Amino acid sequence: MLEFFLALLTAGTVGVLLIPLLRARLAATNRLDNDLAIYRDQLAEVERERAAGSLSEPDASAARTEIERRILTAAEKDQAPAPKPAAALHRFLPPVLCLLIPAFALGLYLQIGQPGVASAPFIPQPRPPAGVPKEQGPSLDQQIAAARERLKQAPDDPETLSVLGELLTQQADGVVPPAAVEAFERALKKQPGDARALFYLGLHESQAGESKAALTRWLDLEARSPEGAPWLPMLRAEIERVAKQAGIDPKSIRPDRKPPTAAPAPPPSSPMAGMPQPTEAERDAMAKMSPEQRQQAIRGMVDRLDEKMRASPDDRDGWLRLANARRVLGDPRKAAEAYARADALKPLEPQRLADWAEAEVRQIQPGAPPSPQAVSVLKRLEAADPDNALALFYLGATSFAQGDKPDAARRWKKLLAQLPPDAPIRAMLEEKIKQAE
Amino acid sequence: MKSNRLLYLLPLLTLAILAGFFGWSLVSGRDPASIGSALVGRPAPTLKAPALRPGEAALTDALLHSGKPVLVNFFASWCTPCLAEAPLLDRLAKKDGITIIGIAWKNKPEEARAWLERLGDPFAAVGYDLDGKMAVDWGLSGVPETFLIDAQGVVRLHFRAPILEKDVTDRILPLLKAGGS
Repeated sequence: MLEFFLALLTAGTVGVLLIPLLRARLAATNRLDNDLAIYRDQLAEVERERAAGSLSEPDASAARTEIERRILTAAEKDQAPAPKPAAALHRFLPPVLCLLIPAFALGLYLQIGQPGVASAPFIPQPRPPAGVPKEQGPSLDQQIAAARERLKQAPDDPETLSVLGELLTQQADGVVPPAAVEAFERALKKQPGDARALFYLGLHESQAGESKAALTRWLDLEARSPEGAPWLPMLRAEIERVAKQAGIDPKSIRPDRKPPTAAPAPPPSSPMAGMPQPTEAERDAMAKMSPEQRQQAIRGMVDRLDEKMRASPDDRDGWLRLANARRVLGDPRKAAEAYARADALKPLEPQRLADWAEAEVRQIQPGAPPSPQAVSVLKRLEAADPDNALALFYLGATSFAQGDKPDAARRWKKLLAQLPPDAPIRAMLEEKIKQAE
Repeated sequence: MKSNRLLYLLPLLTLAILAGFFGWSLVSGRDPASIGSALVGRPAPTLKAPALRPGEAALTDALLHSGKPVLVNFFASWCTPCLAEAPLLDRLAKKDGITIIGIAWKNKPEEARAWLERLGDPFAAVGYDLDGKMAVDWGLSGVPETFLIDAQGVVRLHFRAPILEKDVTDRILPLLKAGGS
């Protein structure tokens, strides 16, 4: 609608400019006639005045001669040669420009204009659902008081000290105040290498104009952090920011620093976690696909990784990445296979074991007992983590299927004891225990 | 006739001069916001303000003539850039042992006190200038502003912006190391 008005306005302006220009051209052709009319009037007036006696005969004839002379000059001027090319240019340039400039603007707009993009104030903002009070839980001051109270009981608890430091920083609008610095320093003394305390102490140094000290501290922390640590993306962003601001190259402090990955790692639930990242072109292409196509493209990438792994089967991390991708994509059979390949190279860690066990039990047909392969993985999982719910449930089912009812009941009861009172599977489990007893 | 035509060039000439000036401003690194300071190189203006911390003596000129260079910092609890420079002042006071005199400018004393409570108080002496009368003598254009006054009571530096790390390392500390004279 607004665009329409603007176009109307432009058209109006062009019209207003054009009309006088064109009219001027028309008027110019009539100039001689106008002149002659004036001179005729003047001659008539001279004649009138002579007849009335207010103008003497010699004066009147002199005036007449003068006017006639002017008439001749005007007629001569009108006989001037036809307009020269330059004059033609002058005649056509203004109207042509008048039309050409809006036309050019329109063309440019059609080329680069984005009428569909909302103006910034009209972009819908994510809003908290109505009815939910904004402030939930205790206020900042109350939280600080509570943390201080806890510190009275346990004066050197590093966790409470760090929480207090963080709250004080929040209270000071992001500036790490001296009281918070003290809290973090005490926390660090109790728990050397505490990532949170190190991060905030570095932040304090950067705010206090000691960028180099801050960067040294942060780069140390970065080097010691395990890959995938939750604080790494933020830490790296801060390192970049302070390094850029102070004009210090992080490499001059830590020459062995690996360049941080450009994009922060996606959350682990994404199928892309641990996968080779797609190039920007691929990512752009993916953004345009329909969900099914995208899924297909991801599967294609995972298949490519699969092929690569079969060519170099000694890469344990690669197998784990593949297994994770398969598991998230909902292909438990292939995921379990990849976990087995990684496990053969070096036994899996408990966390991976749990993922593997999950991939195994997902292949179990409803009602059927777990496969021997699944049982062996579950047993290892139980050995590593005796309270693991998955292991307890399925190993119980295995015992039940083999007729060892007391063992089944023992495992299931142990599981039941850990479940929250409102767990949906409670009823089912209680039913099973009844059967086993 | 000829001279009349030349007259038409006048707007074009004006435009060219303006464009030249703007271009020069862009590339020469001139800060158009800088209004300079008339105080640098002159004796510091009068310091006279009631103390912000209860029970302390009012601030007087004697603080500027203690035989030691001092920083005078104008701040306010409502001023965000002041928040950003607070840790820097704290470090200058504690690590570098610089005497800093603070003036809360157009700021209610209780609000300024609460602010210092939260952020840490780096000031050896701190007063308040509620109506901004004293700041007029100091040529204050806003907060934060910081003056470095040498041992003889002469203004050596005047920052009309929050102090940054490079101001500290490139200007304040070298001047103080040289004796602040």
